[in-house]
Amino acid sequence: MSVFGGVFRQSSARLFSTVLLLSHAGTCARTRMHAVPKLRELDRWTEKRGVFGVYDNIGILGDFKAHPKDLIRGPVWLRGFSGNELQRLIRKKRMVGGRMLTEDKHSLDKRISFLYRRFNRYGKHR
Amino acid sequence: MSFPSHAVMSCCPPDQQRARMRIITPSSPRACSSHLNTFTTGLGSQLYTEAAPGAVAKRFISSVSGESALPSNLRLPPNLIGVAPQKRASPSGSDLPVLRRCEADIPAHLAPAQTWLESLGSRDSEPLGVVDLHPDVFSVPLRLDILHAVEVWQRNFKRISHAKVKSRAEVSGGGRKPWNQKGSGRARHGSIRSPLWRGGGVAHGPRGPSSYYYMLPMKVRVQGLKIALTAKLAQDYLHIVDSLEIPTPDPHYLLDLVKHRQWGDSILIVDVGDEFPQNILKATEDMKTVNIIPAIGLNVHSMLKHESLVLTLEAVKFLEKKLLWHDVRYVPLYPFKLPYSDLP
Repeated sequence: MSVFGGVFRQSSARLFSTVLLLSHAGTCARTRMHAVPKLRELDRWTEKRGVFGVYDNIGILGDFKAHPKDLIRGPVWLRGFSGNELQRLIRKKRMVGGRMLTEDKHSLDKRISFLYRRFNRYGKHR
Repeated sequence: MSFPSHAVMSCCPPDQQRARMRIITPSSPRACSSHLNTFTTGLGSQLYTEAAPGAVAKRFISSVSGESALPSNLRLPPNLIGVAPQKRASPSGSDLPVLRRCEADIPAHLAPAQTWLESLGSRDSEPLGVVDLHPDVFSVPLRLDILHAVEVWQRNFKRISHAKVKSRAEVSGGGRKPWNQKGSGRARHGSIRSPLWRGGGVAHGPRGPSSYYYMLPMKVRVQGLKIALTAKLAQDYLHIVDSLEIPTPDPHYLLDLVKHRQWGDSILIVDVGDEFPQNILKATEDMKTVNIIPAIGLNVHSMLKHESLVLTLEAVKFLEKKLLWHDVRYVPLYPFKLPYSDLP
């Protein structure tokens, strides 16, 4: 209430200049409108997007016969598992190492030994 | 900020409530304040409760500035396309019978949430009755942080990223030292596939298929479901239906019904069991925004994605039974998938 009393008590010239200053407030950033890329047009209601997430609560709503990790589609050694690179590679070697191709197996073994030495011998965390 | 629960909304005849939904126009101060005092939807009720000095100040502001009394972020533009959905009358003041009571015991200090029971039989059918909903499933405190956590979990726990780049050991070649250590005048190098070289391996790139799997505690996921159901009920997006039988398998019938009853742009229909009536399956087959799922498939992401949720009575019973059990169960000594003597 007192704010309005103060405004009315000022002279008209000062009021006019205050209004001018307020209306000039703005940023000076220039946006190059002709170089703004267009938004990607996505269909938010495809088959996949429409039914995403269905059966995620199959455990709690379905008598615990299944677990949400059974829904995950991906490599066998990664379903329902998370770990750092060394843990993933060791798990991969245990689960599918027997049927890997020779060169891939060789790269896997080299990578495992490199990571083992790096995590357990060098640096602050060992 | 919590939404006002359904039971708190004042009950009054439908035409008075429709009158309140009119946008507040600049009008005489006395009419303005009466509108402000009786504006009851959602956030508006939080801002414009009966407070004489506040109403007086707003009247003074409106007469000084010459604008309408609503702040600029709540004012609807006059050229808005699409009508705001008309609010239905609350079922607590109606004469229709209560057709379903909750099976589980309701705590003494809580009252059941009530909503209409509708029918899909014909487009213009009136509500058949009133349905009681358990307050510990349909009127829980709205924890948006739990809702967010469950939604993010649903997005990420299934994610497997297949991004992989070759390290310097895996790129072909690069076993030999390209030139002598000293004498050539060039910088010293040990292999042509080191990360410094063009065509060399990547030093710290994404390594192999990696998974983002994690599990939230079971009770958090259950609470997320309850909060989503509560939010749908509180925002008038929940509809209870006696059964899913419709007269024709024509998708236009469903679209017309949804549009007439102002249910929203996208509907999620939930029923218990494996078999659904053929008509509704055929009607929703080719429709993108109307989806039908069994009750086992209910989840927070789908509830948030679809604007409106339609549950049958059996689905309500099933959900209440499943979600209320977690409030009274013991801590599991071993996973629940293994047999317990007292669990079915």
